[in-house]
Amino acid sequence: MALNLRQKQTSCIIRMLNLNQPLNSSGNVDEEVYKILVYDKFCQNILSPLIHVKELRKYGVTLYFLIDKERRPVPDVPAVYFVQSTKSNIQRIVADASASLYESFHLNFSSSIPRPLLEDLASGTLKTESIQRISKVHDQYLEFITLEDSMFSLAQKSCYVQLNDPSAGDRDIEEIVEKIVSGLFCVLATLAVVPIIRCPRGGPAEMVASALDLRLRDHIISKNNLFTEGGNLGSSFQRPILCIFDRNFELSVGIQHDFRYRPLVHDVLGLKLNKLTVQGEKGAPKSYEMDNSDPFWMANGSLEFPEVAVEIETQLNKYKKDVDEVNKRTGGQDGADFDSQDLIGNTKHLMNAVNSLPELTERKKIIDKHTNIATVLLGEIKERSLDSYAKKENDMLAKGSIDRNEILSVLRGKGSKVDKLRFAIIYLLSLETTPHSDLEAVEAALRESEVDTCAFQYVKKIKSLNVSLASVNSASRSNIVDWAEKLYGQSIGAVTAGMKNLLSSDRQLALTRTVDALMEGKPNPEIESYLIFDPRAPKSNSGASSHLKGPFKEAIVFMIGGGNYMEYGSLQELAHQQPAKHVIYGTTEVLTGAEFVEQLTLLGQKMGLGGSAASLSH
Amino acid sequence: MARSRDRTEDFKDTVRSIALSLGYNESKTAAILASFIMHKPRQRSTFTKAALRTLESIKTLEQFILKHRKDYVDPHRTTEQERDSIEHEVSVFIKTCKEQIDILKNRIHDEDTSGKSKAWLTMRSDNSHVDIVAHKHGVVLILSEKLHSITSQFDQLRAIRFQDAVNKAMPRRKMHQVTNSNSPNLLDTVQETETKMVEMSALNHLMATHVLQQTQQIELLYEQAVEATKNVEMGNKEISQAVQRNSSSRTFLLLFLFVLTFSILFLDWYN
Repeated sequence: MALNLRQKQTSCIIRMLNLNQPLNSSGNVDEEVYKILVYDKFCQNILSPLIHVKELRKYGVTLYFLIDKERRPVPDVPAVYFVQSTKSNIQRIVADASASLYESFHLNFSSSIPRPLLEDLASGTLKTESIQRISKVHDQYLEFITLEDSMFSLAQKSCYVQLNDPSAGDRDIEEIVEKIVSGLFCVLATLAVVPIIRCPRGGPAEMVASALDLRLRDHIISKNNLFTEGGNLGSSFQRPILCIFDRNFELSVGIQHDFRYRPLVHDVLGLKLNKLTVQGEKGAPKSYEMDNSDPFWMANGSLEFPEVAVEIETQLNKYKKDVDEVNKRTGGQDGADFDSQDLIGNTKHLMNAVNSLPELTERKKIIDKHTNIATVLLGEIKERSLDSYAKKENDMLAKGSIDRNEILSVLRGKGSKVDKLRFAIIYLLSLETTPHSDLEAVEAALRESEVDTCAFQYVKKIKSLNVSLASVNSASRSNIVDWAEKLYGQSIGAVTAGMKNLLSSDRQLALTRTVDALMEGKPNPEIESYLIFDPRAPKSNSGASSHLKGPFKEAIVFMIGGGNYMEYGSLQELAHQQPAKHVIYGTTEVLTGAEFVEQLTLLGQKMGLGGSAASLSH
Repeated sequence: MARSRDRTEDFKDTVRSIALSLGYNESKTAAILASFIMHKPRQRSTFTKAALRTLESIKTLEQFILKHRKDYVDPHRTTEQERDSIEHEVSVFIKTCKEQIDILKNRIHDEDTSGKSKAWLTMRSDNSHVDIVAHKHGVVLILSEKLHSITSQFDQLRAIRFQDAVNKAMPRRKMHQVTNSNSPNLLDTVQETETKMVEMSALNHLMATHVLQQTQQIELLYEQAVEATKNVEMGNKEISQAVQRNSSSRTFLLLFLFVLTFSILFLDWYN
């Protein structure tokens, strides 16, 4: 049972567009074939990565509007509303119904509509005597955005700031936890699974996990629950594991520079909802879609940038060869294969050529698109020397130390202000202890480059408060290296560490390591303290039953506070190892390094650590 | 598959309780709740009825092609003549569907212009028809796209048929090349068959192409109609902005003239 979130969400939306009727209803003329779709901004973001406008027509949708737009009556057509359950949307629906804009209203709310709003809707339509227009009301439980087959985002802004805000009250934190739990509940309802929940102790992760457990328990007991797993009695190897983490678990991932294609495109060019806008070669901005329909993107998204350039080259050469062959066969050029007497053979070749033409045009389009993107990326990389940032940050995190002159030279070298700030923060995070003089030199260098050091001060503060910022270092150094360092000093330690980096392809993220350990289920000191929740088990827990810790084939990993494509890529690598596992990655919002540093800056300002009052990086 | 939760029952209960609280009497409440269960017989416009009829015909065409698919493709089940007749029927059918779609398309414009003339008489703005027109264009576009997809499917079947025929012709050619010097008559017939094959394979893509042209025309009209729904709103905004600007500039002009007049009077008095 491979969990393909994107497919499941798309099929739910298609069912909704078919007016929530069972999909195999026979076509009789009385059914409502043509409809109008009305959505709000949030639901537009949900729909746009999943369905293209042209496909809407396949399901009989003739027009689609934003709910806030002024719309005019279309008398004999049903309308499908897909909106969030907010007060203003309900008011708008009541207004539309009383104005008789459409024949009948099929209301679909992206998550459950609460009782008070339902009453508002009822009283509004009763008073305007338009209640006969409301045909159906459904809770769709689709309030999340699926970006890739196994990646979703809840699109809840500034979660990290709100959760770590020193001035936040209990009520505020509870509200945020509620929102996150509701989003996660929608994801689980769409996947129709009740997972085993695991999370580290303390912090937002524990709060979210216990609230989610409670919500699932209440829901399963109620009638008409959405999670009827027919057949097997919830044996563990069918149920996935849901691992909830907080951003503070591994802060460096949200900040560091990465040199792989997909994270680069997101971080540098600003990929949003799978859409990208870059400067075309002739100066006009071009917008591209990066999703399932692009085979190059799917296949090469996790390669390092130089390899991607090589791949584009290869594809281009293959394309040219294919075009030459087609030309030769059909006599486009004076090729020796063309025989004017061989009429039938030529016709066959002509037919084949015509049939392969659209495929060739597609390939050329994709090659052009990626060439354009790669060229723009190359410009940015050269200007900001992002390759050296990525490499040096990786080295710092892997080795746990760096030469003082090196860091100062980087801070004085190329790169935007945000790049330098990110580098300095990674320096803070990768070193266990930072000698005071080094810190001062780094801060001086930052101030020289006119970088707003709020975020830096904030990270320094929380590091000094000993918030556990993940033992990144202990990951890559094995016991041998430790022993070597102790006995033979720094130089040999560096050599063996270097060798280990050669032996192991990439430094594994702490998150990936932990998820691997959780999925394996073998006793492991790192995850000993992790809590475990099973919504299906009776309340009186007779000790953690052994089957709950067994090896899991499928996992859903959720990061509170902000995630990015680098984490997603790392988890996908884990999933593709032998034996094949399936990992879905989700987060409250997808942030670039710069956006995350902005949130850190905000927190620094709230804590009153802001250095200069000027230069707010907006 | 994941299910959604049907809240219509909850909604009805809420309606009942609110109706009671608002003081509606029993019969009224019952009437309201009944309207939920029994919908009024839907009154469709003539346009929608015509569109549904066209959809019916397209569906019949699809079923016809499906039914005769095996017969058409398999060379041993039918003769050339039967296959030609199937093709002929299909092309006639496609032609009728195309004509129906054209009629619908022209009808949109007729209703639109007649609507405009009425509105002119009643002196109301014409905005209210824009969405209806766009919707009708959408309906016609959907029909045309469906017809196009069915036609391309049929074209693929044709391609298979001609591929088989071409393959049959090729070995025959090799045999005849051996005997070409002795029998000029045979050579002529073979050459005739060859040219016929070439013609038919050239005609291969023609069926879908006409429908494609129609689809593209309709798509253009649809895009324009959708643009119009957006433009009316933008036009209203522009008008209100212009009115605002106009009034503010008028104020400034008046003030300016006022001040100038008084300064001239003042200077005059001063001298």
